[in-house]
Amino acid sequence: MRNLDYLEPESLDEALRMLADYGDEAAVFAGGTALLLAMRQRMLAPGIVVALGGLSALRGIGYTPEAGLRIGALSRHSEIARADIVREHYPVLAKVAAGLANPQVRNQGTIGGNLCYGDPATDPPSVLVALDAELEIAGRSGTRRVAMADFLVDYFTTALEPGEILTAIHLPPVTPGRVGHYKRHLRTPAEHRPVANVALTLTERGGLWDDVRLVIGAATPVAQSMARAAAALTGQAITLDLAAEAARIAAEDLTPVSDARGSAAFRRQVVRATVRRIVAEAAGLDWSEAAA
Amino acid sequence: MSHHWISLTLNGETIEAEVPANRLLSDFLRDQLALTGTKRGCETGVCGACSILIDGEVSKSCLSLAVQAHGKTITTVEGLAQGQALHVLQAAFMEHGGLQCGYCTPGFLIAAADLLSRNTSPDDAEIRKALSGNICRCTGYQGIVDAVRAAAENLNGT
Amino acid sequence: METSAIGQARPQINAREKVLGRARYAGDLKLAGMLHARLLRAPHAHARIVSVDTSAARALAGVRAVATGADVPDRRWGVGHKQQHVLARGVVRFVGEEVAAVVAETPEIAEEALDLIRVEYEELAPLLDPALSLDPGVPQVHEGGNLSEEINIDRGDVDAAFAGADLIHEETYTTHSQYPGYMEPMATLAEVDGAGRLNVWTSTQSVFLARQRLAEALDRPISSIRVIQPTVGGGFGGKIIEERSSVIAAFLATLVDRPVRLGLSRLDDILSGCFSVPATIRLKMGMTRDGTIVAKEVDILADCGAYAGLAGEVMTVTAMRSDNMQRIRNIRTRARLVYTHTMPRGAFRGFGGAQMSFALNSHMATMAEMLGLDVIELHRKNAIGPGETSVHDWKIGSCELPACLDQVSEAIGWGEKRSRAKAGGVLRRGVGMAAAMHVSGNRTIGNWDGSTILLKVNEDGRAVVHTGESDMGQGAFTMLAQICAETLGIPVAHVTVAAPDTDNSPYCIGTLASRVTINGGMAMVKAAEEARATILAAAAAKLGCDAEDLALVDGVIRSADGAHTAPLAEICRYHIYRHGGEGIYVKGSHDPQTVRFDGDFRGNIAPAYSFAAQAVEVEVDTETGQVRLVETYLSDDCGVAINPLAVHGQSNGAAVQALGWTLYEELHFEGGRVINGNLADYTMATADAVPMMHSMIVEGYEPNGPLGAKGASETAILPGAAAIANAVYDAIGVRITDLPITPEKILAGLAELEEASLA
Repeated sequence: MRNLDYLEPESLDEALRMLADYGDEAAVFAGGTALLLAMRQRMLAPGIVVALGGLSALRGIGYTPEAGLRIGALSRHSEIARADIVREHYPVLAKVAAGLANPQVRNQGTIGGNLCYGDPATDPPSVLVALDAELEIAGRSGTRRVAMADFLVDYFTTALEPGEILTAIHLPPVTPGRVGHYKRHLRTPAEHRPVANVALTLTERGGLWDDVRLVIGAATPVAQSMARAAAALTGQAITLDLAAEAARIAAEDLTPVSDARGSAAFRRQVVRATVRRIVAEAAGLDWSEAAA
Repeated sequence: MSHHWISLTLNGETIEAEVPANRLLSDFLRDQLALTGTKRGCETGVCGACSILIDGEVSKSCLSLAVQAHGKTITTVEGLAQGQALHVLQAAFMEHGGLQCGYCTPGFLIAAADLLSRNTSPDDAEIRKALSGNICRCTGYQGIVDAVRAAAENLNGT
Repeated sequence: METSAIGQARPQINAREKVLGRARYAGDLKLAGMLHARLLRAPHAHARIVSVDTSAARALAGVRAVATGADVPDRRWGVGHKQQHVLARGVVRFVGEEVAAVVAETPEIAEEALDLIRVEYEELAPLLDPALSLDPGVPQVHEGGNLSEEINIDRGDVDAAFAGADLIHEETYTTHSQYPGYMEPMATLAEVDGAGRLNVWTSTQSVFLARQRLAEALDRPISSIRVIQPTVGGGFGGKIIEERSSVIAAFLATLVDRPVRLGLSRLDDILSGCFSVPATIRLKMGMTRDGTIVAKEVDILADCGAYAGLAGEVMTVTAMRSDNMQRIRNIRTRARLVYTHTMPRGAFRGFGGAQMSFALNSHMATMAEMLGLDVIELHRKNAIGPGETSVHDWKIGSCELPACLDQVSEAIGWGEKRSRAKAGGVLRRGVGMAAAMHVSGNRTIGNWDGSTILLKVNEDGRAVVHTGESDMGQGAFTMLAQICAETLGIPVAHVTVAAPDTDNSPYCIGTLASRVTINGGMAMVKAAEEARATILAAAAAKLGCDAEDLALVDGVIRSADGAHTAPLAEICRYHIYRHGGEGIYVKGSHDPQTVRFDGDFRGNIAPAYSFAAQAVEVEVDTETGQVRLVETYLSDDCGVAINPLAVHGQSNGAAVQALGWTLYEELHFEGGRVINGNLADYTMATADAVPMMHSMIVEGYEPNGPLGAKGASETAILPGAAAIANAVYDAIGVRITDLPITPEKILAGLAELEEASLA
């Protein structure tokens, strides 16, 4: 790994100033899991890393009924998985964090680092889109909030501008009847990164679903909201046939990636299966006996 | 390149050292401190042979810079035994065929120690999940799972 | 002794140092003044090296040497085919071939220097597809054509036998290349000492073959080299004699006259090979209505990559080993090994057996169904038995294959699961099985398959075993210690096995061909018997009685009537401290009564043969194509199990490696370049990707083996792929003949079935 300077700002302002001063030469270092990997494999070669570890403003997980959940960007996946307020109010997010990659990565990787890296083959983006997350981003000219869906621009590309730092993830307050589901598919049991995942959030009203979000991750360059499929599930009695129909629509609308871990056609097929299953499971239906 | 003075608690002892910014924690332990029990197996954060406990949590030392260890409490495989007395996991790995070539063993012991510190009676599925950040090519994992289960039972006196 | 030293599960004798993190592997070793080496690899599958400019690299502070093909000895090295220089010279033949090496004060500097080496290549058209290798006009990998080896075997009257068959089935199977995946990437520490000798600590399966290879590659006398084996972090065939980094490291040490350590990164280790030999196998078999195999015709095309290495020997195993498992007399086999511009392939656990086992067992299952027979009955019907001589003149000693078949079918509930109604759901289950055989030993390296043990019994009555046979983690040292303890009459804890070292160990071939338990173990029995006789003779002299009346049990010498007794230590001291005395040093040698193949591939090459059977249940997700192994039972016929813990460990590890080959692992190439050369993308199973592994032992007694034992480490990898493929077929009716079994292939197969049902 090439020579580098390791800078440890003590405040967000100082960190932003460093990024401004060093420009392209500097990389932001959160947990390090992704950045170190990229540096070792020579995909990235920053001369300077700005380590955010000392910034208390980027830490902590807090919830208020008015503002909802704030997750500091430096929160590690294991901290999110274990946080009582996350488990209580956003159990689907706790579940995603608890199942991400492997124990070591959960202990070392941060949610902020995960999102800024922009790697599609991971769990959090789709579920955060489905949970209507907003990202709090600090820059020299102040702080802005960006919807999660807008933050994800393309394969390994985010809306983060040069010199900006992701400081926190905000989730809106929970509303009565709002539930979330998440399901991922691994190409083989030996894979640890999803080839496709599906996040589903909805509000149950009188046995019907309202305000449905169906978001696909990992199979697409960025997490993709499936509006048509979500609409199909809205206000209808959920049956296996409807689940299959929503799955068909989602697969049709999908913009899949194609690579060594799965062709576009394969990913489409996996998404279709996974959507059908998550919808069926959310409705308490057994999908295993009837194929779509 | 920047160099950094770091101070940490390593296997119960306070250590101070100067490290260059680009030194991986795994290299610091192995090359600078001669604690070669922590292994390099892939250096890309997959195989888990370099696993150590950082503040009691299993971590891959190849995914961390040495400078990040400042102020932390670290346990490597060399810190598991108390003098001549083996850690209950070490004894169980020996007894139940939890190792063959031994190269992955330090990492598995650390990952298992992390598990047992949080869950004193894991079932097999929980054990397998907890060890999913580590690769062994010799045992087919059965001996390892058996060993962790036995160690947990031993700790619980069952 | 209260309990026997053999037959009980027992921790490896080196387990304690391993759990303490104190076992030393080559990459852990340091010498004063040690330098670090890094390698520059070719980016092209086939190119002429026009020029190499190392000046900038040499000028970098901290760089001690930069070597290229121009600096290495002219002599070429290789197993049979002498094809390789220490560093590529003139031409590169695969992506990853070592073109230059840097030696520097630190690994970081060495790495930086690699970036400063300028190599000009003239790219040449590569040959990447083995199927095209023998076509006219294709690129040539070596002068003399792309055919590395061809073997032809003809037994009986194949045409007449096919003519008389009631059922003939023909199919082509393809198998892919598997990475050994040992957890310790290759590492070597080498130095030239003050006396001018080259000392090499390297991760190897054989110190003596390593020394011989170094002597050849570096063109220096054998005795000027000393190879020492540190703890080895797995080998699986990849660390026998084909890897190249130890040769390069040793060369660099001679160049800089300072200790040099070369530890490969995982990416380096993958790029440099040595993966298993991929083979395409056309198999045609004829059976009579009752399931008797009457004829077999085989055509194999195997790919050794850029250099032949051991691939020719591997292909021979693919071509004819499994013939010996069955009572078949009419066989026609052609096998061709071809070069391509890809990484060299060669020895891998099972040594070619797994490739044919996949084809044969898939074929057996298909034909059983065609005949309306149970495949287990089909195996039983054709299985060779003890005392029989096979079609290639192999003399079968112990053979518990039928018992293995019983054990696995009972354990998995074969009859019940086979006869259950097929469910029509999304997740469908099926069962499958396979059976295989392997050698224990192989007279193949030369006309010797022997082993020698030097045994010292110290003045405190404890023993030190010196052997050149290697332990890569499978438990060879523990096996030797157990046999020594059992035969000599001392506790296992009183036996130390010294690390193989070409200066101090007796000459041995090393650990390959499942030969160490059977041949090293026999040498150990002989040495321990000799030591015991020496001790008892000394005791008789000291105690004034007949040696025949004395026994050595648990470290104590006693006469049958109890009148005479002495601790072993006392006798060992007496053996030294008397006129004309000396320490106790004895030697046991054993070379089995086997023969090399004759020119027609006939002859009993091994003192014993091991058998195994495996039955599995899988669940196929018909929507995603994912195959999940649900249950597995593997039964190993290893003779007397010296250490059941080690046998189970080997069997489970082999079964998971086979599972990986079948479902999880696949090397992806793009223009000859490996594009998934890391463990995140080349996915070996983790603990959560495998079910509980059930390993079982059928204990027979091998008359040619030590205390009844034979080899137990390789047979278990052979049946897995076909067992899984057969289970997949049972589950969904899709026959996969092309490994690995990927989700895409499952989905394509299902789509084809559906199309056919609609047609």
